Amino acid sequence: MFSVLIDQFWSLTIAGIALGFIYVLISLGYTMVYGVLRMINFANSEIFMWGTFGTVVTNRDIFHYTQTSEPAHGFKLALVLITSLLMSMLVAGLTAVFVEFVAYRRLRMKGTNRLATLISAIGISIALQEVMRLLTSSRPVGSPRVLEKIILTEVWGANIRLDTVITIIAAAIIFFILERFIKLSRMGKAIRAVSQNEDAAKLMGVNLNRVITTTFLVGGLATGAAGFFYITVFEYTKFNIGFTMGMAAFTAAVLGGIGNIRGAFFGGLTLGLLEVYASAILGTQWKAVTVFIVLVLVLLFKPNGLFGEAVQTTRA
Amino acid sequence: MNKKIKQSLAIVTAAALAFGLGSVSTASAATKTFSIAYQGPLSGGEASTGIDEQNAVKYAAKLFMAANKGYTIKVVSVDDQGDPAVASTVAPGIGANKNILGVVGPAYSGATIASLPYYKAGGLALISPSATRVSLTDPTSPDFGGPVFHRVVGKDDLQGPALAKYATAGVSNAKVFVFDDQSAYAVPLRGFVEAGLKKVAGATLVGGDSVPNTTTDFSPTVAKIKTSGATVVIYTGYYSQAAVFIKQLRDSGSTAVFAGGDGVFNQEFPKLAGAAAEGSKVTGVGGLAGISAKLEADFKKKMGVSSGVYSVEAFDAANIFLSGIKAGKTTRAAMLKYVNAYSGKSISGNTIKFNKNGDISYGLFAGFTSKNGVLVNTGIVK
Repeated sequence: MFSVLIDQFWSLTIAGIALGFIYVLISLGYTMVYGVLRMINFANSEIFMWGTFGTVVTNRDIFHYTQTSEPAHGFKLALVLITSLLMSMLVAGLTAVFVEFVAYRRLRMKGTNRLATLISAIGISIALQEVMRLLTSSRPVGSPRVLEKIILTEVWGANIRLDTVITIIAAAIIFFILERFIKLSRMGKAIRAVSQNEDAAKLMGVNLNRVITTTFLVGGLATGAAGFFYITVFEYTKFNIGFTMGMAAFTAAVLGGIGNIRGAFFGGLTLGLLEVYASAILGTQWKAVTVFIVLVLVLLFKPNGLFGEAVQTTRA
Repeated sequence: MNKKIKQSLAIVTAAALAFGLGSVSTASAATKTFSIAYQGPLSGGEASTGIDEQNAVKYAAKLFMAANKGYTIKVVSVDDQGDPAVASTVAPGIGANKNILGVVGPAYSGATIASLPYYKAGGLALISPSATRVSLTDPTSPDFGGPVFHRVVGKDDLQGPALAKYATAGVSNAKVFVFDDQSAYAVPLRGFVEAGLKKVAGATLVGGDSVPNTTTDFSPTVAKIKTSGATVVIYTGYYSQAAVFIKQLRDSGSTAVFAGGDGVFNQEFPKLAGAAAEGSKVTGVGGLAGISAKLEADFKKKMGVSSGVYSVEAFDAANIFLSGIKAGKTTRAAMLKYVNAYSGKSISGNTIKFNKNGDISYGLFAGFTSKNGVLVNTGIVK
């Protein structure tokens, strides 16, 4: 039972961390919006899915890579990777802002109750998914291999691959930048102020609409970056991938304490590792069972997640 | 929640379609208009399979109308999303719509089981191009579809051993790892593959896994394969997951032979997986292009798209109903009797004749190997 874990421990761990970082970035999309609006952005999973297409389109249609073309090297590689990262972030960021305008803003202005926005968010997520389904004729879409998956080195029997290394380092940097943005920038302070007390923030002259739009944008940018890493590692997307990844990332956010940025970080990594270890030890069919048992246990003892929901204090 | 809403939307559209088209055919019955239905996933995650099959049905209808002036054939679309829950809500409408003489489908076994009570009650003949679950034609099973259910595709208990044999061909003392995607199609097929392996000389089963069909991170499965020392890996799920998996297996440095069943049999598989798919072995049914390039070219010209998986089967199934219509079997009872006694040629050259449980006498699976990004037919697995 444990032979696989012992034999492949480091390979699994590295894969789990890379997957965990993808979860971290998606769960930022959930956590940011929850922190400010106290509402779950159910469309975030589809924002992620649209983000993955940003990278695929860049690789395939802008740089004209095909399934049979040679992977890029050197400067060209960096150019393609950075362009597709920015493209995914842009697509997802704009989609998130669009979601805010269509599904949230008008209803918020009219002072409808929260359940109405919940439904409109689900509605727009169905619309986003179905539009992509029609655009891709329901078929899965493969991304050309731009980044050659070179084995850089072997550590304790595990292959350290270039794509996982890039994912881990770059995702960590993006997370760090966003975290600093929330903590230090003027806009970040405004976001935190709104999350602490919306009315007081308004009285202090904070432009509420701009803060909320920025929150969606930042959450979308993080989610889009996750889409880029997802394509880099798995080279595959489909109109319906959002649900599974979104569900996992939402679980990660709750595990860490939704509304809490550091919580999203640790929740994502914990979930990524938990998934690969559980699959290796018990069999992949037990993955979801294990994850949710752990989630229930954590919530039993820490109802606000590992790092608590206290956005205001941890963010300050 | 998301899925529920989508399902109910699908039900409403399907019902509207069924009743709407039904009334049209009543009005114009005097001008020899007949309706057959196609049931399968036309929206949702499995839609590409259903759209491919429905195109083959429409193609058959087009050819029939061109050859038999004075007939108008309506193909009623029944979208069950390949999902039993949706199927059980669209099937009552189709079962009650007496204008529909026969159904090509349902495409998927689970959806078939959910639809059967309504079609049995309506005496509506079904010919599925792709529902391969064994229990559908097993009279001792509660899923038994007789006398209305028929299929023009080989069952999984024939495919499993064929896949085991084809996967291990040329590998001496094969150490085999078999895994499924937890679907109602893949789990039984895995059982038949494992049973078939026992009859392959020198082959041993060294491990297995069961991976949800929404998985994209296969690293735990790859880790298990490496630990087990497998030289052959067989996946009984579908092509899109297979493409994601094979890349990760090759990236891990494994050179084990990869093989899959008819769920993986789709030209999209080598396209999605690129170089990683080279040499992969798949069992499946030959498409129209496998019959003749001319037929495929004509299909593309008339339908505007290439033919897809199960196009031969869907085409054959539609032709059985169409020949029934031509023979004047224009009530459900007459059509069902006609289908049960049917004997004729498939475009693949085999003779289609159903046994009393609704199965055809042949169930030959062809082996395909991926070469330069295309699955190439290497002939029937013997």
